[in-house]
Amino acid sequence: MNNGTILRGTDLNKRYGDLEVVRGVSLSIDVGEFVCLTGKSGSGKTTLLSLLSGLEHPTSGHVELDGKDITSATEDELALFRRENVGFIFQSFNLIPTLSAWENVALPLFPVKMPGEERKRGATDLLKRMELGPRLDHLPSALSGGEKQRVAIARALVTHPKVLFADEPTGNLDSATGDAVLDILKALHIQERLAILMVTHDEDLAKSADRIIRMQDGEVMS
Amino acid sequence: MNLRYLRSELYYQKRRTLAAVMGLSIGIALLIVLNALSMAYRRAARVPLQEIGADVTVQRSGNVPKDLTGAVFPCSAVTIRDEEVKKIETLPGVRGIGRAVLLWVFDSNRAWIVLGVEQQNSVGPSILRHSVIEGRFFEEGKPEALVEVSYARQFGIKVGDTISLAKRDYPVLGIVDASRAAKIAVGNVYLPLSEAQRLAASSGQVQAVSPFNPADVNLLFIKADEERIPELSSALRTIMGKNATIGTPDSFLKLLGSLFALSDKFTLAASLIAILVAILISFKTMAGNITERAREIGVLKAVGWINRNVVTQLLAESVTECLMAGFLGLLMALVAAYGLSFMNVNIPIPWEMSPRPHFLPGGGDQIFKTLRLPVHVPWTLASFAVLLSVVIGGLTGALLGRNISKIKPSEVLRHE
Repeated sequence: MNNGTILRGTDLNKRYGDLEVVRGVSLSIDVGEFVCLTGKSGSGKTTLLSLLSGLEHPTSGHVELDGKDITSATEDELALFRRENVGFIFQSFNLIPTLSAWENVALPLFPVKMPGEERKRGATDLLKRMELGPRLDHLPSALSGGEKQRVAIARALVTHPKVLFADEPTGNLDSATGDAVLDILKALHIQERLAILMVTHDEDLAKSADRIIRMQDGEVMS
Repeated sequence: MNLRYLRSELYYQKRRTLAAVMGLSIGIALLIVLNALSMAYRRAARVPLQEIGADVTVQRSGNVPKDLTGAVFPCSAVTIRDEEVKKIETLPGVRGIGRAVLLWVFDSNRAWIVLGVEQQNSVGPSILRHSVIEGRFFEEGKPEALVEVSYARQFGIKVGDTISLAKRDYPVLGIVDASRAAKIAVGNVYLPLSEAQRLAASSGQVQAVSPFNPADVNLLFIKADEERIPELSSALRTIMGKNATIGTPDSFLKLLGSLFALSDKFTLAASLIAILVAILISFKTMAGNITERAREIGVLKAVGWINRNVVTQLLAESVTECLMAGFLGLLMALVAAYGLSFMNVNIPIPWEMSPRPHFLPGGGDQIFKTLRLPVHVPWTLASFAVLLSVVIGGLTGALLGRNISKIKPSEVLRHE
């Protein structure tokens, strides 16, 4: 892995029974690169994202993140790896409904031994950056879709990840709110040189990325 | 384990929390009430004996006297020889013995139930000294009599009068009101034990049925170690023979006939069912709750929670809910126990222990000791129930938590 590559997948395959969802995919993402993974529904985009982010083990092939091979890691090792290296943004936000905005942001830090004040400060600082200062103590049910996704972005950033994985982050948002979320991601990419791998089926959205990877039937087309 | 998350989960998922807490608390309340009731019946069954300071009574049944004239023994209480009493005194578990002689005296114009009582003994009918409402109790060795208040009223007997029993005269030196004190070991007239022994020994009717020496008695009251009563009861039967009537709290309990009084096995079975129901309710509710939260668990794992973090968090939630259920169940049980304590229980007195001649008018009627059911929830039972709730919570949380923590985040998060 060269100095500029943060994430590399080599000859990745994923099977569910007889169904081969990802077939012989190899790709790499550089530090600070914004990559979009596009393709039709069922093309294997989300599965590939799961493999690269350590959410799932490949049937064969290797994944290296920041020089570490995570292919043979146990579930707990993968969880710790995810906490220390990656952040996730999901289409449906996946916020915990019983936790306030700042508690949702601090969620990845709950198992980490650290002073509660420090944890809260880290979460609230991020929320303020997302212009959610007045919403710190609101439950997700009291937030709009755009606000929920901004909370989810803050949660993804709270552990200072090396790569941000976003699975259809604007899929549940109207176009204006979606654009705003995309602006935040672009800003993070530019200002913090954060590597981002975003899954989307929206070609217009994909144009914002440095590079577009297209998938079809489990294979990378370009 | 994160307390903030725990509190939020319990507080904001009120329906979920309430369902888990209510289900288990009903099971816990049932367990406490069943056991408290069982204990209450056991306690109630001890009362007739406790009233005369005893745990066990001993009698021996014999033949019916040929003629009901002069002093006779009831057929349910014939001679217990002095040497038998001495043997009984040495039995393990015996802490004290009270002796008495029960006689029916049929004079030409009156029938008396005469009870010869010891001058001073905390076990047995001599505790009636505390029921003297007029005059005074016996002095040692004097041929004096005490008369039961209702009998004294019926026949106009007063302190200072002289009554005649089997052709012997006794000055009345006191009036006794035993009606509230005891239902067994009571009479119309109370004599010093030595006087009653003399009356019995000199009665041809008594001697014809059951040879009696002046040192013998026909009623024994034993104060015993509670845990040794079954063993003692069997030793007493060996000494007294097949005609022995041994009265124990258990024999009163059997007469009560209530399901709770019938056997320990019923209470045990009912308690086990209550515990099982509590566990099932708790397990089912929490299993449902955790399944609902599969996606949430997936998120936790996706953002870096390891299996142990998930299990600990769910375990803490489950234990907290079950602890709340334990306290709520205890509260419900205390309220139920308070309500049940207003219930009256009638404890039938076995006819053998009833001093009244059954052939006289009203003599065959069943006598009951009526008392409020003494339902209490002892702290040991309360602690056990709360502890049990915590254990149920721990087991349920650990088992379900362990199961759900194995979930792969990609499996629950991919289906958007």
